[in-house]
Amino acid sequence: MKRNLESIALKSIPIRKKPVLEVVNVSKHFDLNGNARSVLDDISFSAASGEMICIIGRSGCGKTTLLNILAGFLMPSSGVVKVNGRPIRKPGPDRCVIFQEDTLFPWLTVRENIAFGLRSGTIGDKHSIDSEVDRFLTLVRLHEFQHYLPREISGGMKQRVAIARVLILQPQVLLMDEPFASLDYHTRREMQNLLLAIWMELNQTIIFVTHDVDEAITLADRIALIDKNSGHIREVLAVPLSRPRKTEIPEYIFFRKNLYESL
Amino acid sequence: MKKPESAKGYYSLLPWIIPGAFVSVWALFSYTGLIPDYLLPHPLTIIKTGYGYIFSYNTSSIYSGRFLSDAEASLMRVFFGFICATLCGLPLGVLSGRLATVNRLLNTFVNGLRAVPGITWLPLAMVWFGIGIKTTVFLVALAAFFPIYLNTAAGAQQVNIRLLQAGAMMGVGRIRGTFSILLPGSMPNIITGLRLGLGISWAYLVLGELTGVPNGLGAVIMDARMLGRVDMIVVGMLIIATVGRLSDGLLVTFLKTCFKSARRMS
Repeated sequence: MKRNLESIALKSIPIRKKPVLEVVNVSKHFDLNGNARSVLDDISFSAASGEMICIIGRSGCGKTTLLNILAGFLMPSSGVVKVNGRPIRKPGPDRCVIFQEDTLFPWLTVRENIAFGLRSGTIGDKHSIDSEVDRFLTLVRLHEFQHYLPREISGGMKQRVAIARVLILQPQVLLMDEPFASLDYHTRREMQNLLLAIWMELNQTIIFVTHDVDEAITLADRIALIDKNSGHIREVLAVPLSRPRKTEIPEYIFFRKNLYESL
Repeated sequence: MKKPESAKGYYSLLPWIIPGAFVSVWALFSYTGLIPDYLLPHPLTIIKTGYGYIFSYNTSSIYSGRFLSDAEASLMRVFFGFICATLCGLPLGVLSGRLATVNRLLNTFVNGLRAVPGITWLPLAMVWFGIGIKTTVFLVALAAFFPIYLNTAAGAQQVNIRLLQAGAMMGVGRIRGTFSILLPGSMPNIITGLRLGLGISWAYLVLGELTGVPNGLGAVIMDARMLGRVDMIVVGMLIIATVGRLSDGLLVTFLKTCFKSARRMS
């Protein structure tokens, strides 16, 4: 079984362009009552422009911690994260996050939520902001709900607003922390397809954290496995399946079985 | 809540049932003479006195037509006291709700101060400010500060950290984050604090006006007590109840007109 995995890993897609995101030897440990507990150990990988990378691991393996470090909410204990070659120091609109829970502003309508980031900067006059917001409302198919408040729309719609709200800022990297985990099966599938469509249209670099094997295989160009015990990236697998991915074909089932067993 | 048309009339009557029943029982007691007039006057006497106090039709009474000047004096005192309390309570509340250092710095002091009943400040306030508007404004401001401060702090503390992180990643700085995320996010608690503060302002208004100021809604009540005019005491109480209720409604309307978050989150 081990050999199979290696042979798949060898087929890894060569990196075409210079990496947008580089994670270099990142480690993180927390102090618990004087005992340092290591969560992430010497994590290194990079993402090329337009690449979709899934980070998969069992719960408690430090996936969310890693994403918080990439976002700039946490500083790594050692190592460095670079975007376009520049080390990051704090959160910024070049690395936007979609959280698992609802983080829309409840006092703003769908439209106002999407416009929030643009209004906070100095960029653009009112007219160009309006047309940008319209474009992204259409992209996530929420035009007819633009004047609704977050509490009046469903969980899937909320996540679509969250996606539009950050994509409008044209981030270098989109970070997603199990964004569809709290949705039901059908909505989750719809959201995955919508994300893929958006990803292809915008050529957006995406780091997607999940614990769901199928979700990872459906979405990713490459899958990074984090080991729960060591907090280390055990391997980075290229997904050798053409898009759109069909779940019934033997290659999918074979790859899924291998991935599942190595978790 | 949408109600069918037929139920709407009944629904709008609902708030008046208890006051109506209360007045009926009161009138009943007065008619039967169970309670003598010098303890609780007849409702009609109250209406007559109140009418004279407000519209000055009966010039023989010393309270005739004093309403406007009394109300103006009292409203000014409540207004300035409440504004002072808000100007201190809101910013300090936000700071102490968000910053552990400020919270630690202020908490012991504020809670110690809060344990001192407001009425015990009266003698000191009179020594400091003398008799007049300043004493009352001071007492009102002091009393209204605590609910505003505490509720704002609780609200700021409860704002989901993810909302602030979402703002930070969208390039919102600290100052703008405070005004466009933190304050709207705490709005339900802020409204509660302001309403409680305004309510207690009226209580301390009367306390401040006990000191012998010539005019004010509280002053009229104390004056009437000394002259044994129970009807006037009750009129004063009813007027404070009405003005207090109106000012509360006005405050809520004002907040809902000015702030999206107040409109959409309560």
